[in-house]
Amino acid sequence: MRAFPGSERRYPVRTVLELIDLTRRFGDVVALDGVSFEVAEGEMVGFVGPNGAGKTTAMRIALGVLEADRGEVRWRGKPVDVGVRRRFGYMPEERGLYQKMHVLDQLVYLARLHGLTPQDAKASAERTLHVLGVADRVRDRVEALSLGNQQRVQLAAALVHRPEVLVLDEPFAGLDPVGADVLAGVLREQAAAGVPVVFSSHQLDLVERLCESVALIHKGRIVARGRIGDLRAADPRRLVRIEVAGAAPEDWYARLPGARVVDPLPDGAILELFGSIRERDVLDAARAAGDVRHFSVVQPSLSEIFRGAVQA
Amino acid sequence: MKPESDEGAYWIVARREFVERLHDRGFQISTAVTLLILLGFIVAASLFGGGTRFDLGVVGDGARTTGEEVVAAAKLLDVTVTVHGYASVAAAEAALKDGTVDAAIIDDREVIVKSQPPARGQQLLAMIQAVTARERAGSALQGAGLTEEQVTTALSSSPLPIHELRPLDQRQREENAVVFVGVLALYGQLFAYGYWVAAGVVEEKSSRVVEVLLSTIRPSQLLRGKILGIGTLGLCQLLLIAAVGLTAAQLAGVLGFPAGAATAIGWVLFWFVLGFFFYSTLFAVAGSIVSRQEDLQATMTPLSLLIIAAFLVGITSLESPDSTLALVASLLPPTAPLVMPSRIVLGQTPVWQPILSALLSVAATAALVPFAVRMYSRAVLRSGRVKIRELLRAERRPSS
Repeated sequence: MRAFPGSERRYPVRTVLELIDLTRRFGDVVALDGVSFEVAEGEMVGFVGPNGAGKTTAMRIALGVLEADRGEVRWRGKPVDVGVRRRFGYMPEERGLYQKMHVLDQLVYLARLHGLTPQDAKASAERTLHVLGVADRVRDRVEALSLGNQQRVQLAAALVHRPEVLVLDEPFAGLDPVGADVLAGVLREQAAAGVPVVFSSHQLDLVERLCESVALIHKGRIVARGRIGDLRAADPRRLVRIEVAGAAPEDWYARLPGARVVDPLPDGAILELFGSIRERDVLDAARAAGDVRHFSVVQPSLSEIFRGAVQA
Repeated sequence: MKPESDEGAYWIVARREFVERLHDRGFQISTAVTLLILLGFIVAASLFGGGTRFDLGVVGDGARTTGEEVVAAAKLLDVTVTVHGYASVAAAEAALKDGTVDAAIIDDREVIVKSQPPARGQQLLAMIQAVTARERAGSALQGAGLTEEQVTTALSSSPLPIHELRPLDQRQREENAVVFVGVLALYGQLFAYGYWVAAGVVEEKSSRVVEVLLSTIRPSQLLRGKILGIGTLGLCQLLLIAAVGLTAAQLAGVLGFPAGAATAIGWVLFWFVLGFFFYSTLFAVAGSIVSRQEDLQATMTPLSLLIIAAFLVGITSLESPDSTLALVASLLPPTAPLVMPSRIVLGQTPVWQPILSALLSVAATAALVPFAVRMYSRAVLRSGRVKIRELLRAERRPSS
């Protein structure tokens, strides 16, 4: 049992979903190489990694769509079977709905497959579509909807049976800013209601904004896992952000001993400092080179944490 | 709760397949078109069928007697002749002109027609000539001094007996027609509904909805539910067509032996069920290895050829239901559905053969389903064209 500091939950937070030592090969390619991580009740986890790192494979295994060569998935301490999985909510990376089916019929059907009674399925489908703002399109075929609305119906399909855990593969991909806000709101609500949410994304800034914790995956291995704040604090690197008007890099920071460019910026860079060089040494060198527009000591961003974890 | 809702998923899938396709505009139109074609055939059969019909006018008593003899002679040739009596030659000529009669016999002296008739009408004239020739021969013989008794004996010498190798009475002729239509319908239905299973699998695969479904239910539930739903719809459609066809045929008076026809239809329906379940599992595998509807034709080709071959054997065995080819084909599960119904209805088929054939079919399907489910599960989540050889290789490995 552990609790996130500052959380306002009334109940103790505990691990509910466990991925244990998942390994999967496709031919000669090792897609997952002993992936393990845990997700706690009400926790929202950003699942982050480059293309081909194994995110989709791990999620598919968690949902039983794919089998692992080794390892297992546990829910509340027990291996996941079909009956348990029926209470999971899943949104695959490649969206899938029956194009010719009416929106409401489709959601009722999926809810029924998840074990809801006909009456409950209908009521829940209507409610979910209402929450997601597509209540006026229930009689339309899916193919008649805009892509944005299809995305909403897809999300509704993952939520309609009131799942106990949500696993969403790239849920924000293809959403406009309004749609992204709706989705973020829904995910926050679900997490606040105690439903653990795991979602993968390429948009690291979005993950940073939405999640308190992340799992970073690279080449089929988890390279970092935990609260973003903790990962930041644990990052030993010293970073400064500096912008100087009208000075070419080779005039000053490229020649600074003990400083390395992490991220080039239009008028400057984020630099990582090594050894005995101090932050004010950098500032002095900048002032000697030109007009300093910006100088700050920065916390590593998620992408920098990721880069650090991969290099480690 | 779990095992119950496990089975539940299977029924929910089947129900969706049934209901969605029932509401499909294409399905409704094709059903309506099929019914219209069938009704058209029945109407045409009642108008032109039932043998050839002629109307014969007669003037005078002698002519009337001749007319009756023509009617009797015509019956042997499966031709119906109706005699209309007229008081005068003028009345008979009027009837000829307005088409009420095809020919008229005047007092045994002459036959009048509107104009020299086409081939069909020649048949009537030939019969009249034959009947009157016999009468003229009788008069001539009597004139030559034979007694009436002798004349009758001479003329009523029995014709050459005809021995049919395979007697075909009216009832069998009808059953033959019903079975032919039935085999034709069965062939179309196996194709259409097998294709629907394959196309349904591809639809789920290409739209990727299959991943959502398989996160909730097992591949076997999805596959079996799909096959059950589509098969039930196919059976209902056949039942509807059969019911409408039988009713219409009876109303139109085309069918002399509705009970025989109903039995024949019953066998066709029974073999549809067996044939559909056998083929649909294979169609499902064919569907699962492609990702786009356009690629489906190619993977279905072997199956299509198999059904076409079965159909051809089925057609041949309508002619010779007791041949060795028909016997073998009626026992093998791929060909049995299109061959056995005609053998049961038309041939001298011992009871054990249909029973054995049905058991073989059920056994083959039962063996095929788990195999198909495994192939389907492996292929359905992969994108692009999956090689069947790869799937089979995975089959040989104990576990992957």
